[in-house]
Formats: sequence, C-alpha cells, structure tokens
Amino acid sequence: MKNKQFDDFKDTVFALAKKNNVEVQISYSQNRNFQVRYQNGDMDQYTDAGKFRMNVLVLKDGKLGASYTETFDDPEKVFLDACENISIVDTEDVEYFYDGSGEYLKLEPYDGAFENLPVRDRIGYVETAHKEARKDERILMDMAVYGDEMNEQRIANTLGLDVSFVDGGGFMYAMAVAKDSSPRSGTEFTLGKRPEDIDGAYVGKKAREESIALIGSQSVKSGKYRIILRNDVFSDMLGMLVSMISAENAQKNLSPLKGKLGEQIGSNIFTVKDLPYHPMSISNAPFDTQGVPTCEKAIIEKGVFKTFLHNLKTAKKDGVKPTGNAAGNGIAPINLYVEPGNKSFEELLSALGDGILIIEVDGMHAGANPISGNFSLGAKGFKVENGKIVRGVEEITVSGNFLEMMKNIEEVGSDLRAFVGFGGCIVPSIIVSEIDIAGTV
Amino acid sequence: MLDKFSKGVAERILGTVLKYGGDFAELFVEDRYSTNISLKNGKVETAQTGRMFGVGIRGFLGDKAIYAYTNDLSEENMLTVARRVGEALGEVKLGDLSLDLRKKELNNRHIIVFNPKDVQKETKVGYMKRAYEAARNYSPVIAQVVVNYWDYDQNVLIANTEGVYVTDERVRTRLMINAVAMKDGQMESGFYGPGAAMGPEFLERMDLEQAGVRAARIAVRMVDAQPAPAGRMTVVISNEFGGVIFHEAVGHALEASSVARGMSVFAGKLGQQVGAECVSAVDDATIPNAWGSANVDDEGTPTQRNLLIEKGVLKGYMIDKLGSRRMNMPPTGSGRRQDYTYAPTSRMSNTFILPGDYHPEEVIASVDYGLYAKTMGGGSVNPATGEFNFAVNEGYLIENGKVTRPVKGATLIGKGYEIVQKIEMVGNDVARGQGMCGSYSGSIPADVGEPTIKVREILVGGRNQ
Repeated sequence: MKNKQFDDFKDTVFALAKKNNVEVQISYSQNRNFQVRYQNGDMDQYTDAGKFRMNVLVLKDGKLGASYTETFDDPEKVFLDACENISIVDTEDVEYFYDGSGEYLKLEPYDGAFENLPVRDRIGYVETAHKEARKDERILMDMAVYGDEMNEQRIANTLGLDVSFVDGGGFMYAMAVAKDSSPRSGTEFTLGKRPEDIDGAYVGKKAREESIALIGSQSVKSGKYRIILRNDVFSDMLGMLVSMISAENAQKNLSPLKGKLGEQIGSNIFTVKDLPYHPMSISNAPFDTQGVPTCEKAIIEKGVFKTFLHNLKTAKKDGVKPTGNAAGNGIAPINLYVEPGNKSFEELLSALGDGILIIEVDGMHAGANPISGNFSLGAKGFKVENGKIVRGVEEITVSGNFLEMMKNIEEVGSDLRAFVGFGGCIVPSIIVSEIDIAGTV
Repeated sequence: MLDKFSKGVAERILGTVLKYGGDFAELFVEDRYSTNISLKNGKVETAQTGRMFGVGIRGFLGDKAIYAYTNDLSEENMLTVARRVGEALGEVKLGDLSLDLRKKELNNRHIIVFNPKDVQKETKVGYMKRAYEAARNYSPVIAQVVVNYWDYDQNVLIANTEGVYVTDERVRTRLMINAVAMKDGQMESGFYGPGAAMGPEFLERMDLEQAGVRAARIAVRMVDAQPAPAGRMTVVISNEFGGVIFHEAVGHALEASSVARGMSVFAGKLGQQVGAECVSAVDDATIPNAWGSANVDDEGTPTQRNLLIEKGVLKGYMIDKLGSRRMNMPPTGSGRRQDYTYAPTSRMSNTFILPGDYHPEEVIASVDYGLYAKTMGGGSVNPATGEFNFAVNEGYLIENGKVTRPVKGATLIGKGYEIVQKIEMVGNDVARGQGMCGSYSGSIPADVGEPTIKVREILVGGRNQ
C-alpha cells in the first residue's frame, strides 16, 4: 500500500473538511491481479496488473456527495467535486458515518500465497488443464483460465474510523467443447485460498467429462419436474435472494420479502447465513464498505426469515443495529452460506430417482426478476432415471418463482463449493420438488 | 491531462517493451471523468463524479499477447511495467528500435455541443425529473420510478510501434428509466435506456416525457399480463432493441476472439450461406454520435462500416489487431475495451439487421398463432455452441394475425446459427436501441438494432398452464 502518499492525500482532505465544517470519509482500495487464458493450448490472454482508487465521501447535514480519483494529484478538486454533488442531493434520507468504535473480528488476512508463485507455475496450471481436457478425441476445442488476485482495503473518516484488511486468492476455469450434431460445452470452476487448492488436471478433466456426457443431448417434454440444482447453478440463482434480503429494497417496496420477518418462507431444511469469514472464500472482511464490523448471522433459519441485511442508513430507518452489510451503493452479504445437509452429490442423485439435474442456467441478469421472484431461464443438464444419469438435456427453460422454489427444497446436499459474485457464496446442491420446464410438446 | 504523455515518454515505454521481448508494443492512456446521478421517487439520492486515470501496456510476439496496466504513472514505474511485459513475451525480436511517432490528426465525426463537464448538475437533474414525472403520472398502478443518469468524457491516447500516435475524445450521455407497477400483490417493471455519443444536448433534444411513459407503459401492461405460453412457436420481434437477438445469437460468434481459435460456429464459413436470404446485417462504428461509435477503436485503428451478412451469406468478421495476426486478415477497427484495466479484443459497436420490404403490420398479420416480443430485455450467448437466451420484457400473443393479450415472463432460447436461418420476414422499420455489452474486454456501450422480424420457430420458456 502506498501509505505515505495516501496519508498525505487523506491529511489534506481531512484538513479541508475541518475548514469547511463537514465530515469526510476516504476509502482506499488497491488490487493486484494476474490472469492467463489459453485457447486450444495457445496463450490467448495474459494480464499482470495493479491499480488503486480513492473514494471520497463528504457528509453535510445528513447528505452525502461522492467523488473518486485514481491519482494522488489535486485532492482539493476531489473534495470540492464531492461537496458540489451534495448540492443536488434532495432526498429526505439521512446518511451517517461510522466512528469505528465497535468490536472487529480478528480475521486471518490473506497471506499472499499466490503472489510468490513463479509465473511458469501459474501457466503450468493452465497447460495441465488443457492437456487433461484434450484426453478424448471428440473434444473440438478447449479453454482454460487461471487467475489470482489480492485486494487491500482501508477506510478512514473524520469521526475516527481507520480500518484496513487484505484478502485474495486464486481461481481456475476450464471449458471443453465436444463434437456432436451441435457442439456440447462442459465447464468447471475452482476457487482456492492457496496454490495447493487449485488442481489444473481436475478442472480440465471435469470440463471434458461434462462435455462428453452431453453428447446426444435432447430436449424433454414440457411439464413439471423434480430437479437437482447443482451447487454452481444454485449459487447463480441465489442472486435473487441477495436482492430480496436487502433492507433498502424492502424499504423501497422492491422486495417481496417485505413484512415477512419471522415467517416461514422456505422449506424447514433450508438455512442461509451470512459469514464474515469462511476458509474457502477469497472475499472475507472484518468490516463492510462503511467500516461497520461484520458479524455472523442467520438470514433464513430452518425456513424462517430472520433478518434483512442492513447498512447504517437502513438500520437507522428500521430502528435496528446495522448488520455490517454495506456494499458500495448497495447492500450485500459478505459470504452467503447455505448450511449443508448430509447427502453427497451421488446420494442426491439417488434421492432424486427420476428427474432432471440442472447444470447450467443462462440469462439470470435478464430472465430473473428479483422484485417479483419470477424467473424463466434457458437451461441444460442431464436426465436422471432411477438415480442414474441417462442422457444430456438441452434446449429447455426452467421457470417459476423463487419464493415458491424455497418452499419446495426437498433435500440439501453436503457438496459445498465456493463461488464469487455478490461477495462470496458457499453453497451445496439442492433438490427442488417441482418446477416448470418448457421443452418439446 | 494526457499532455503528461509526450511522444518521448511513449517512445521510451514502447521501446522498453521491445528491448526485452516481442515484435509489437502498444500504449493506451485513459483519462476519464464521469458523472452518475440516481433519482429515486423524484428525489436525488446519490450523486457521484470521478476520474479514472491509468495506462495499459501490451506486447505481442507472433500471436502471443501480454497485457499489463497500472495507475502509478511515474515514468520509473511505467518503464518497469513495460519491461515486465517484454520479459513475459520472452524472445527479443527487434531489440533497440528507434521510434519516431507522429501524431495523426483525426477527422472528428462525432460533434459534441456541450461537454458534460460544462453542464450544471441541476440541468441534468432537471432532465431526470421530467422523465420521472411522466412515468410516475402515467398510471396510478406505478409504484416506483428510478431514473439514473450517466455521462462521461473519455480522453484516450494510443501509440504503438507501427508508428500510431493518436488521441480521441469519447463523450457519452445516457438516461435509464426503471418503472415498477404494482397491482394485487404483483410487481412488474419496465425499462427504457436511451443513450448517445453526445453531451447532455442529447437529453435537451429528446422527448423526455415520452421516454418516461415508455418505461411506465411496459410495467403497466405487464402487471396485467398472464404468464406467457411455453413451447415452440412463431415469434415476431419488434424493431430497435429487438436487435439484441442478432447481437447475441450471431454477433458475438462473428468476433475474432471466438473465430480466430475456431471457437465459433461461424469459423471458416466466409462466403457460405449461413442465414435466410432476407437477412443482411452490418456493424458500423462510424454512425455520427451513435452510442457505440468512435473515430478510432481502442487500438488506434480508424473505425469502419463492416458488412457481416449479405442476403444470408457470411461476408465478414469483426477483427482486432491480435485477431488479425491469428486470422491473417486485416483489422476492422473493432478492438474495444471497457477501460484501461482490460486488454482490447474484437467487439461489436452498432450492430443491426438491414431493412427489408415488409410493413411491420404485414409481418404480424402473417402469423396465426405466436408471440409478439415488443420489448426485449438482455440476453447472453455461448459463442462456442451458439446457445443463447433472452428475456422478453414486454410480450403479447398474436392470434389470427392480430396482437391480442399481454403475456409476461417469456424467455427465448435456441442456437444462433439456427435462428438466423429461420428468419422468414424482415420489416422496413429499422431502428437502433442502446445497451451495455459484456464480454472478455469488459462492459462497453453498444447499439443493437433491426426492423421488425418474424422467426418461424423459437422455443419460448414460460409457465406451463
């Protein structure tokens, strides 16, 4: 961290704040990232980079003005821009800063395990994945990506807050495409905290196996089906829940969970938590983007809706304590964690008996409406009969309502995996007892 | 602030890359000033301005590319980054190259009347409030209206070891209106997001009330709609933003990033009939002041109008510099990136299906039973398999050649190369709509467009009755 330059910038802005009789908060973020992508065994993209940014918030009479910059030049201009922005803000909402007086969890910061890895080792992961993906002559093309990143965050304000944390890790992604009447793609994604968590061969093999297994995919008859949502798919769909549990959305009548605290909103085997730290996550944090301490809490416990997620403003409005979930201009969990059940993935397949295993949904950003909970998504997967995968399924859409779906969760698996999206997401696969699938007549 | 980058600095950075490796080096400097204002229920809730300032340094060795970016702009640091790029490329090809960069003056095609920096924020808020009022007052069932405003002034400098040294200024302004209607516990939303490569004069000239009404209308119609029918059926897709179907289903698979490595279903098919004869389409970054336009692309190559498909025959791809090396074809001015934190790659700009012969009403009248997708939402595609999906934000049933009742929750899915063969009628009402396109090099402004078209059969996902 460029401590000296940041401190100078901060001191100048804090002095200006004092002179102008306003409060100010500066968030400093610095990240470094490395990424390499191979297509069909050739290097296609390679990025090794870093950047920093300072977000300046000025608070005056409960109103906020914001400005950011990527240069230490001219702190005064940045400060004045933020002040000017206050002049057009006319919401009746009152904003606050946090003074940093609370107890912060002592979390283990990222040890930079990937930082010291020689470049040839990082490229080695991708080459291994590529070789593994190609171990079947039906594979037409493949792609493999390796990346690692390190993110440092520091927040300081004129009320006395000054906190910092660093987290990071690595990831791998592979895609293999198998030849068929139309090409079949299989993918695999892994997140890791340490280099030994990343296994290039495994990622390549899983992508290959999935694409090969999809050869001969067909649609299915339209109707209602029992399904497994594989952990990666379930993680995607939980984006809808993240929007619904935001107190801000509830206060603005944009959440269907408004007024449902304490109610049974999901199946009684469904428990969702927000965790400040999980060993598999690469986005842990002892404080949120307002500097408020993060804490572990149940959001849904045995199907009962326990709490919305709050930032300082929404908490004040509802007369509750902030939950440490401010995320920029919005609200988000630190690590959304779905409590696992006892059944392995294979046991889930047996429990499904006859149904469809969904391995991909597309179009979450457009085909899912978190205000109503309705979704209709392109999907693919496998047909399961007597607990065994019998063939690939293509050209179907799954549709329903997320709130109904939470009630229809019949089994929760033990196969926890970590993903990134809106913060961290650590989830298992689930069985949903009934969902609409559109396919052939 | 690009004056910090004299030719001398640029020459030293590019020279350092080649000294340590590679056969080509490129420098991209970006200084961007943005404003974002958010208006919720008639009140300005957040107002933010900000400046991004950084450089991207890229080197090639054959068709291998290394990219690095930094915003520590001390010359010492930039030369270290340049050296790392060269070293990562490995083999030294040209060594000490004496560069003599000469600035190329561009003929600016996109005249800006007001730089957003010079327009009062109160004026911008005024535009937002007019759109808000119109949307709010459209119907008593409108429960929420959010209007977001975004503008930026992006100054770029691009230099490379082929002697390119060019600057370009891209100014863009966009209004995004989101209306929510609520009735009997049902909530549905409508969106309209017009934008242009213009300053705030874009909003000064626009019918802001009409824009607000447009978002509100979608929400109000959809809150009364029944779930869409599911299954394979004929679909008529309305003009303007309906062109997102071509963008996703075909456009992405014509980008060099997919084609060069054979990762696209359209690779190796130039000159072949890939679509119905009524389909012709272009990608054109030269349209004055269009949302996806620019004088030069983000690699310094002048933009051009690229013919992609003519009467169903594949005529061209969208090619960036790296793709050009890999495909042995000239670049088409299609190298784009979100900002300096992304290496550029082949991307679309303003992509649309060219007009045909039919009046849009004739197109609808030809359908016995089907879906009329009046307003499309976003979509996505897997270029390797061609599988796409889209949300229909405003849909209606067509029965006996007439648009009858509204239907909601429809999703269109299929494979791009099949859909383009199934287009049966193309209208004469071509128009373009604005969107943000996300791909390898980030999220970039792009126009999509088409006239009203009829697709013989698409799988529509909805609720089973």
